[in-house]
Amino acid sequence: MFGLPTATTFLVLGIPMFWILYTLGFLWMTRDWPTSRNEK
Amino acid sequence: MNMTVLFFLGLYFLAMIAIGLWSMRRGAGQSMEGYYLGGRNVGPLVTAMTMQTTSMSGYMFLGAGSLGYTQGYYGFWYAAGDIGGGVVNLSVIGRRMRKLSQIMGALTSIEYLEKRYPSKWVRLVGAFLSIFFLSFYVLAQFIAGGKGLELVTGLPYEASLIIAVTVIIAYTLMGGYSAVAYTDMVQSIIMLVGIMWVLIAALQNVGGLTAANETLAEIDPTLLSVWGRDLLYEGQWGMVIGAVLIFSIGYMGWPHVVTRHMAMKNPNTARRAGVYSTIWNIMFVSSPYLLGILAIIILPNLDDPEQAIFTMASTLLPSAVVGIVMAAIMAAIMSTADSILLQTGSIAARDLYERFINPNMGEKQMVNVSRLIVLAIGIGGILAALIEPPAVFAIVIFATSVLGSAFLPAYVGAVWWRKANTPGALASIVVGGSISFLWQYLGLDGPTEMHPMLVGVVLSSLTMIAVSLVTQRSHPVPEHILHAMEETAELRPLPKGLRANQDFTMAHEAMSLT
Repeated sequence: MFGLPTATTFLVLGIPMFWILYTLGFLWMTRDWPTSRNEK
Repeated sequence: MNMTVLFFLGLYFLAMIAIGLWSMRRGAGQSMEGYYLGGRNVGPLVTAMTMQTTSMSGYMFLGAGSLGYTQGYYGFWYAAGDIGGGVVNLSVIGRRMRKLSQIMGALTSIEYLEKRYPSKWVRLVGAFLSIFFLSFYVLAQFIAGGKGLELVTGLPYEASLIIAVTVIIAYTLMGGYSAVAYTDMVQSIIMLVGIMWVLIAALQNVGGLTAANETLAEIDPTLLSVWGRDLLYEGQWGMVIGAVLIFSIGYMGWPHVVTRHMAMKNPNTARRAGVYSTIWNIMFVSSPYLLGILAIIILPNLDDPEQAIFTMASTLLPSAVVGIVMAAIMAAIMSTADSILLQTGSIAARDLYERFINPNMGEKQMVNVSRLIVLAIGIGGILAALIEPPAVFAIVIFATSVLGSAFLPAYVGAVWWRKANTPGALASIVVGGSISFLWQYLGLDGPTEMHPMLVGVVLSSLTMIAVSLVTQRSHPVPEHILHAMEETAELRPLPKGLRANQDFTMAHEAMSLT
């Protein structure tokens, strides 16, 4: 993709994709946090 | 001297000082919690942006571009860790550290360590280690700020240095953490706009990313590999994993970064802050490395690779936009310098002066002492930056690895491991800091192909586990700390009893010394 070797494509696109999935996973795992809005 | 560039820079400096004044008027100087932590009232967007811009110094505009220019796509290993650094930090320790620090009444990240691992030695060792490395770090940022401004304005280095650092000191003194966090927020926008503008212009110039990569393949196909030009780093997994570690989990060991958790408005703030961090990082972090790579095509005969982004901006963009890019470079430098300056001053004031020398001060008196110390460090920094001691940058390259290796297990264990005790924490700080420093100092990373951060984090973590387990009977974690740790897992307001125990004075600690 984009004229890059496979390993480089994974580094440039695959790892950022992993972090996006990690962030979405974090959002999912913490979906009950907003109920603690009064927590201070 | 370009008047349009000067206009944008002047506007930028004025905006920073205005934010400092605004923060002061909001009551930043009224209490220690207000000055050190913005009254623990910082929302998710500002938390995310101050965390990211503090972590990313002028290196992103100078060193990252240089790495891309000299080593091609190998530089993306560094970006790979960086993109996830914010969300890892916020998801692993953000919420719990915010809560535990409040329960314990801790105002600095080193004070937090002493209250979680009760021992004056934890505070002393932590404070000296932080102050030593952060002082050199802030000095390096001052020098970079002076040189950046000199490059942009054509003013002599001395005058540029004094102007740049005076602006940083002014808003930090006036508004404390609030000023630093909100200026960082503005600086994050300037950094993003600046880098994206150059990137779009560069991609248009080379005919798009695919065309650029095809041209690079004709120049030298190894530039497209993940192992650097001429496959210089081929198979060096130890170095590569270390590079990814520094910027992904390494943030959790940096005292000036984890303070951001303590200042959050609410423990729940970590959730949205994590999302904002990833969004900003996805857009910003890879861009300087990619620009360095594109500069191989656009500026094939560049003498100094560190000037790749600056020279491309000057070559490809109209002068009005160059002004924004220059402000972006200054923003990257200043957003790191202000946070480290405040953090170094806070640790010196709170963790050394108040803790060990004068524990009976009132809140306002303490804020004034903190301001005085910040001012003294700032002036000392200017004087040192004028001399430019040759060892500064040599020591700074140790700072990120040493601080990360020393403190990471202590901060993570503080909220996640009930058996993490004082001897374990102290030993891991000493072992992690020393090993990481010696590994780099003795040049062991070359022959072993193992990054100092990788070795440091692994050994400090093992030390924390082994020493805590062995000393569990002789040094059990105190009951009130275990109770506080349990409370950090709860999704509810702090019970009244715990809130009543919050104590921002130092009297009880002073008594424990006698």
